[in-house]
Amino acid sequence: MSECWTRRGLIGLAAATSFALVQGAQAQAQDDIVLGASVPITGVFAFAGVGIHAGIQDYLKIVNDAGGVKGRKIKYVAEDTAYKVDASVAAFNKITSQEKVSLYYGDSTGFSKTINPELERRGTILMAGASFASELNDPKKYPFQFMSGPDYTEMFGILMRYIAKEKPGARIAFVYSDTEFGRDPIEPGTKLAKELGLNVVERIVTPPTSVDVSTEVLKLRRANPDYTIFHGYVLAPIPEFITQAKQMNLRSQFMGTFWSMDNSMVQRMGEAADGFMGVMPYRYYYEKDANAPMLDKIRQMRPEYQSNAYMQGFVTAMLMVEAVKRTLEAGKELNGTNLKASLNTIKDYDTGGIFGVPISIPGNSVPVGRIYRFDAKAKQMVPASDWIRL
Amino acid sequence: MRIATLKTSYAGDEALFDTKLQRSLLALFGLVLAVFPFVAGPYWLFMACLVAINVASATGLNILTGYTGLVSLGQAAFMGVGAYTVAILELRVGTPFPVNLLAAGATTALVGAVVGLPSLRVKGLYLAIATIGASVILHFVFANWSLTGEARGLSMPPARLFGNDLDQPFELYWVIVPITAAMILGAANLFRTRIGRAFIAIRDRDISAEVLGIPLLRYKLTSFAISSFYAGVAGGLWAYFFRVVTPESFPLINSIFYLAAIIVGGMGTILGGILGAAFMTMVPEVLKLVVGWFSPYFPDALAALAPIRTIVFGALIVGFLIFEPQGLAEIWARVRRFFHLWPFKT
Repeated sequence: MSECWTRRGLIGLAAATSFALVQGAQAQAQDDIVLGASVPITGVFAFAGVGIHAGIQDYLKIVNDAGGVKGRKIKYVAEDTAYKVDASVAAFNKITSQEKVSLYYGDSTGFSKTINPELERRGTILMAGASFASELNDPKKYPFQFMSGPDYTEMFGILMRYIAKEKPGARIAFVYSDTEFGRDPIEPGTKLAKELGLNVVERIVTPPTSVDVSTEVLKLRRANPDYTIFHGYVLAPIPEFITQAKQMNLRSQFMGTFWSMDNSMVQRMGEAADGFMGVMPYRYYYEKDANAPMLDKIRQMRPEYQSNAYMQGFVTAMLMVEAVKRTLEAGKELNGTNLKASLNTIKDYDTGGIFGVPISIPGNSVPVGRIYRFDAKAKQMVPASDWIRL
Repeated sequence: MRIATLKTSYAGDEALFDTKLQRSLLALFGLVLAVFPFVAGPYWLFMACLVAINVASATGLNILTGYTGLVSLGQAAFMGVGAYTVAILELRVGTPFPVNLLAAGATTALVGAVVGLPSLRVKGLYLAIATIGASVILHFVFANWSLTGEARGLSMPPARLFGNDLDQPFELYWVIVPITAAMILGAANLFRTRIGRAFIAIRDRDISAEVLGIPLLRYKLTSFAISSFYAGVAGGLWAYFFRVVTPESFPLINSIFYLAAIIVGGMGTILGGILGAAFMTMVPEVLKLVVGWFSPYFPDALAALAPIRTIVFGALIVGFLIFEPQGLAEIWARVRRFFHLWPFKT
């Protein structure tokens, strides 16, 4: 049996290899503009990756159905990475060796940092991604990258500006995971709090997947903050934290940042979700009262709820396409420098209501956001503030 | 049909590869490896380098687990030690990359020997847990020490050789593949020496080994040190390949990956480490290619078939363990036997 297996396996492998080579040789339609992507369809970040993937595809469908950009279609070529940096780089190499890529979507901070020297060497690609790491918000170090929202430090800035306005001199606590993601805004956030006259009374760091948080909750209770900001988590251990804190009669207001703000995710917190707040750069899928033609279009295309990751993918593709459009309209070549320069000319740009206000991209980020609060009756995140620009 | 290999000289008896056919096949394989970078695209070169790095690390783990019988789940953390050593030397001292790689191996060997201390008291699963403990400590150090750049890690410049930056898979291929080949050759020869045989004796029955006069303390720690040296060099190569080292670069799951690689490949055989690492690295990529074929016929094949791909990968591993518990190396051995005995059957 095993001999047979081996022979069959070998033939299969040979066929696979030859097919792959043939596929690699296939050329794209001459003037298609290619958006490559390393997306995490599987693995720990899959919950977001699936949404991002759909969002990018939907926006490109809208563009291509309308005839593309100056008659040129945008072709989307994606690979699954399982949220592993080596697989992401492999995907980048694979896609860039098969297509002439002008735009790229990366899936993690690690990938954005790893691929940066290669982007600089090539100088042909504009990249954005799922990471809002503050480190990437540096046009000098990362000249061909951007993020379609505020970086994590700016998210803290938006939250704390809101707090400073609501309750000047408030006591705040940071609860964050012991990862690069978690630690990202803590130091600059502490500094900013001081500037805004807020009092950081406690900083609690936990393992990223911790389950038992009782000692940390006791610490939080001793500190007795008015506001507690979680960062560096998606869901766990936020619900556990809030539940235990509420049992101890802690009257703190709990807040989160972008990746813990998806409506379906907050719903899963159960009772703990009531009153949970946080910062979002985009409008939610279901916001009907707003003047947002793009949201109407999304709801037409997809009648069921779409996550904030979907919005992120959608709006990232939109900003990339806008950069392409401006570059082509200026009669310039599509390369990293021109695309980034065109992106930076975006000023008071209307995203069809996905960002609630017209946006500008002066550097590598879009420093805009709004505070939302979970309404347990409506089972929805509802606006709790105006749009805040930094 | 081949009955036996007649050896007429001591040199012939000592040779690692004892038949002409073996030597010529090996030369052919070497030739293929040498020609490969000129015909393959950047993606395949990238994968080749990644496979080579994983082979080096898996071979190291094979020395410890496959040959000495000491189960370790610390291989990824050891690679981390090597990667950080290289990054720190490159950034702070600026020594040439071969020196950095050797230093990475040496530092990791030292760390490995210390981590190996519990192996004198505990074995099997207990030792595996002890090594997990060690990797947790190492990860904590990586994430909190200012020298290792804390949570953000370190970004480093490319390796330089004769004034040229080695920053492309094509250039790094000529560093990574020969070093891996040398390490494999070293490992294959190790088990023809007193040290290697002592490892095997310890694996088969440590009490008997001690009775035979093999000092367990020295040899178990030596095994840890050699295995960690391999991991350290592999980690160093990894650092030059990706040029960003963060505490999240070497998670515990990678240790399981290497353990799975040597189990799938065949524990206690050099070929097993090579085949296992290649299998574990390439199969997910090959499955992605297969999914790619469906994309013209299947709307959004990437998203729709991704879970199936993961399941198939898992099922393949389980399938191998059931149908070929001795690993891929045994399949290769069977293929060889088939040709040796032809026209007769085994």
